[in-house]
Amino acid sequence: MNQVAAIALNTFRETIRDRVLTVIVLFALVMIVAGLWLGSISLEQQGRMMKDFGLVAVTAFGVIVAAFIAATLVRKEVEKRTVFVLFSKPVSRAAFVVGKFLGLAATLAVVVGGMGLFLFVVTLLVGGGASGMVLVATALIYLQVLTVVAVVVFFSTVTSAILASMLGLGVFVAGQLSHNVLSLSRVGAGALTEAVSWVVFVVIPNFNAVDVKAAAVGEMTVDWGGVALWAGYLVAYMVVALATASFVMRRKEF
Amino acid sequence: MSSNSPDAQHLVRLSGVTKTVHVGLRRRPVAILRGVDLAVEHGDVFGLIGPNGAGKTTTVKVLLGLMAPSGGSVALGLDGLGAVGYLPENPYFYDYLSGREFLSFCARLFGLGAGERKTRADALLRDVGLEAAADVHLRNYSKGMLQRIGIARALINDPELVLLDEPMTGLDPIGRLEVKRIIQRLHDEGRTVLFNSHILADVEELCTRIAVMKGGRIVWSGTVAEALTDSPEGLEAFFMRVVGDEPAGAVGDGQPEIVAGETPS
Repeated sequence: MNQVAAIALNTFRETIRDRVLTVIVLFALVMIVAGLWLGSISLEQQGRMMKDFGLVAVTAFGVIVAAFIAATLVRKEVEKRTVFVLFSKPVSRAAFVVGKFLGLAATLAVVVGGMGLFLFVVTLLVGGGASGMVLVATALIYLQVLTVVAVVVFFSTVTSAILASMLGLGVFVAGQLSHNVLSLSRVGAGALTEAVSWVVFVVIPNFNAVDVKAAAVGEMTVDWGGVALWAGYLVAYMVVALATASFVMRRKEF
Repeated sequence: MSSNSPDAQHLVRLSGVTKTVHVGLRRRPVAILRGVDLAVEHGDVFGLIGPNGAGKTTTVKVLLGLMAPSGGSVALGLDGLGAVGYLPENPYFYDYLSGREFLSFCARLFGLGAGERKTRADALLRDVGLEAAADVHLRNYSKGMLQRIGIARALINDPELVLLDEPMTGLDPIGRLEVKRIIQRLHDEGRTVLFNSHILADVEELCTRIAVMKGGRIVWSGTVAEALTDSPEGLEAFFMRVVGDEPAGAVGDGQPEIVAGETPS
């Protein structure tokens, strides 16, 4: 456990000090502030536009940071041979995978949490009243981002950094749409199509089910029971992705 | 890896170690190690020399468990990896950590407490002459400084066996001198050092025993004095005589050999 904590702390320090991350976060904050301008040209909709645009920015930049930093961090350890530093010591491959994930989770808590808090404060000051739902939506965006990290960590144990990032982004996009696959399969499709759709629905994480951005801008009500259930599914998904990554790492030679 | 002691005299013993990897879509078997027999005594400074592709780095990786041998046996007279220190070739560490943070991180992996981590890191930074740069990020270190922080890292767990892969490569004369002094001090402290190098003058100066690798095998091993008795002109002449000067591409010139139809064990 001490080794996992050491690797997680090391990963957090390494990523949080990376200038690329600073540039991405600054750009995200600029995008959130740009929502002010969009709001100003939307008649009577300033608060709604700001929250909507801001939450999309938090999601997009959170996922970009997750996909690219997670992939480069794990691959870089292998390609630049820092992994020798770890595995020539009594450090298990599972401790490496879990430590990396937790370190990135801490970094993303700062990044996504910081952006969400910034959006909350901006809407509080100039957006015509803040809503606690902005913070709840941010927490659920964080859960989606963490799932992308787990998926990218897995892919980066089997392929190159750039391909792992692309696959991670692909899974995120597919996860926004996976519920549609199930809906479409029910429209006059055969049993085989429906079975395949179910497999796709289970294998691709259903991010749409925990997306409450629309509720944060007051456009819908939320089935919290359903959100809790799907949030549990995403946690289980992460555990399976990390366990598989650990298994692959254990079989790797360097 | 076996943790049983090979015998009272030896700290490391490899017997008939083979390593075959499979490359390409057709999974062609390529033999990297073809029966390595190696014995390192307690307190030796042991030099493993050979041309590029001879299998030196692979031998070290097999010793460390970074690669599993396809055959043969590996015996370390130590209590697992906790008593081994390792410096990889061309080490890259974490750009955004300071030297002190990096050593503290490595110490924590060995389970050292906070107080002990600080004491040990400070002592090693002093020993390798990096006290003044202790809080500088590693991306600002020169190659020589990185090599020295790498050696400090290899010593963080107070190891009995220190494995150094090409520790002098790419260093300027001052950097080489500093690394040589560190290796000499490790020897004086009674530690066992095994290092790979292409710089034969350093091997001649530092080592008590050497082994010459070629084509995945040890083709000669003995003391430096024996080698110099054989070739009074120096270790370079001895090396050329043992390894031969066949042009690159000739069979047994140090390149890994493709094993047609061989199934690794």
